[in-house]
Amino acid sequence: MDQELLVRQIMQEVLKNMQGSAAAEEVTEKVTVADYPIGEKRPELIKSASGKSLDELTLEGVVNGTLEAKDFRITKDTLELQAEVAESAGRGFFAVNLRRAGELIPVPDARLLEIYNALRPYRSTKAELYAIGDELIDEYGAEVSGNFVKEAADIYEKRNRLKK
Amino acid sequence: MEECFIENLRGVETVRSKRFEYLDQRPVNQDGYALDWPEVGFIAMNSPYDPTPSIKIENGVVVEMDGKTADEFDMLDAFIAKYAINLDFAEEAMAKDSLEIARMLVDINVNRAECLKYTTAVTPAKLVEIVGNLNVLEVMMGITKMRARLKPANQCHVTNVKDNMIQIAADAAEAAVRGFAEMETTVGIVRYAPFNALAIMLGANVGRPGILTQCAVEEATELDLGMRGYTAYAETVSVYGTEDVFMDGDDTPWSKAFLASCYASRGVKMRFTSGTGSEVQMGMAEGKSMLYLEARCLAVTRGAGVQGTQNGSVSCIGVPAAVPGGIRAVACENLIAAMLDLENASSNDQTFTHSDLRRVARSIPQFIPGTDYICSGYSATPNYDNMFAGSNWDADDYDDWVVIQRDLKVDAGLVPATEDEVVAARNKAARAIQAIFRELGLPEITDEEVEAGTYARGSQDMPDRDVVADLKAATEMLERGVTGLDFVKALYKAGFEDVAESIFNIQKAKVVGDYLHTASMLDDKFHVISAVNSPNCYEGPMTGYQISPELWEKLSNIRTAVDPSKIN
Repeated sequence: MDQELLVRQIMQEVLKNMQGSAAAEEVTEKVTVADYPIGEKRPELIKSASGKSLDELTLEGVVNGTLEAKDFRITKDTLELQAEVAESAGRGFFAVNLRRAGELIPVPDARLLEIYNALRPYRSTKAELYAIGDELIDEYGAEVSGNFVKEAADIYEKRNRLKK
Repeated sequence: MEECFIENLRGVETVRSKRFEYLDQRPVNQDGYALDWPEVGFIAMNSPYDPTPSIKIENGVVVEMDGKTADEFDMLDAFIAKYAINLDFAEEAMAKDSLEIARMLVDINVNRAECLKYTTAVTPAKLVEIVGNLNVLEVMMGITKMRARLKPANQCHVTNVKDNMIQIAADAAEAAVRGFAEMETTVGIVRYAPFNALAIMLGANVGRPGILTQCAVEEATELDLGMRGYTAYAETVSVYGTEDVFMDGDDTPWSKAFLASCYASRGVKMRFTSGTGSEVQMGMAEGKSMLYLEARCLAVTRGAGVQGTQNGSVSCIGVPAAVPGGIRAVACENLIAAMLDLENASSNDQTFTHSDLRRVARSIPQFIPGTDYICSGYSATPNYDNMFAGSNWDADDYDDWVVIQRDLKVDAGLVPATEDEVVAARNKAARAIQAIFRELGLPEITDEEVEAGTYARGSQDMPDRDVVADLKAATEMLERGVTGLDFVKALYKAGFEDVAESIFNIQKAKVVGDYLHTASMLDDKFHVISAVNSPNCYEGPMTGYQISPELWEKLSNIRTAVDPSKIN
């Protein structure tokens, strides 16, 4: 995992547990439809995966090469904000997807594509899908997605859609 | 008996009625039709074999749905029962008479939110039972109120048989000038995908900054293009209404839901695709009506947490169009999508008829009420260049579309354009792609090709390219790891700073994620307009979306209209 990202995630977890501090309040305060579009109304809440603020994401930065692809990746925190907006707009199911997506951010592109392909019918054994589920949970902290993959394995078994 | 008399007359002689002889030649009689055959699912909606709506919930778990107990659930049932229904309100919503809910949909005194409370808490069988009570005018009223975004918009296809990237860029630029908010390309040859994706993104944003673009290819490849920043959204993520067809499509509800999350994890917008007729076309409809199976698709879409759908039979339109009430059923599909609070890109794409009258009639239920994206898409090329097997509307119909908007005072997403603005936009797009190819070390685009692209109607007007060299370069471009940011740099260096800034802003939108929301589009300043900050608020006459005086003036002023003030 990107070291910077890891550090930020740990920091966030730590701050979350600091009841009463200003930082914790910032984390727990939920955004709503009134804060949307967040990029316009609450830009200060958004950082890219590399920790850049929106102000720092400039055309000049791209052109002179100081910004690169990782500076333009969305974060779990941002997807959480968008999930909160979705919930406040009455779109709870969409929010679930955004949170599942947030968990998948640290999974490398190539691995994500492999996992998607493994979930297609007749591609994997039950054990293989369970292993992927464990990998998502243990390596990436993707609890919901990991269990989602395991649930798929159970259903595929029942419906005879596992690798033969 | 009069009937016998007529038959006798015809039986004696083989003389043909000149009336019928002539009618036989009419385009409408070149189309295929069939009577209902409900036992195999060859029926649009209201089938006697569709399940009776039901739900039984025990300890927060659905143990029976639409006549099946949990142990009888197939993969779709299991997914829908677990993820797609608002169970907190399900028993109450299911207990309400379907006719009563149908009447709520057309009652201006019941607002969208109140309708959604019920329609998002019912089963697929209930959804089709509700809309089964509506005539097509009522379906249109339902769409008027239930559409997610306030303002309707339109989407187009930009493709050509040669995969010519100069033409794609120019056609996209022109389409942007004409008002499309979203654009989709695909490929003749798969390995052209990176170039086509680049060309449409660049061309669209030359025509009007903020246009979202996609490239429809196989699922995993499409995701890969999104991750690289070559596209802004994805749509070709198909779901199907029976388990067998789902398997045939090489996916499951779980794999598709996972894929949906993959997109969002990279900040890329996406919607699913489904439509009536796909199951019976594959011979696996399980004896259910086309609309019931589509309702299952839409439930899966909602359950996957996807913000929207492209539906309305899409590429299977020939199937519902062949049976009685088929086009009404297609409109019902779009309404159900809106009833599930999904963004609706409402098809009106694939060619299905030889009759110009029929193709207009097919589009009325979306054109008049307006949907989030009325066509998905309208062919921005002549039909011979449409690589999605043709479209119901194409570039040769541009003036027809804007005239019909003007006749009916409807905003169906397009605006009249002048020859000068179109030629200027096409030329700039052609020069921009010439420049970016040079900067990225891709095969040369000549001045002759730029000129041809500027004035072309279609690929027959374009010089041939060295396809082998193009494909080699396209593959190498991916291998080199060229990203959307490299497009920005290259355009900037080549002197197209404004286009560079637009592509930059699209990459930036993916960091923010505001445009992931339901029915989003970007305006020319990259402000997000979606169902969150611009929700549909129709509650009867003079409410909801209204055409502004400025827009009406624009829509009125078609290039062929006489201006009385300029007559001496």
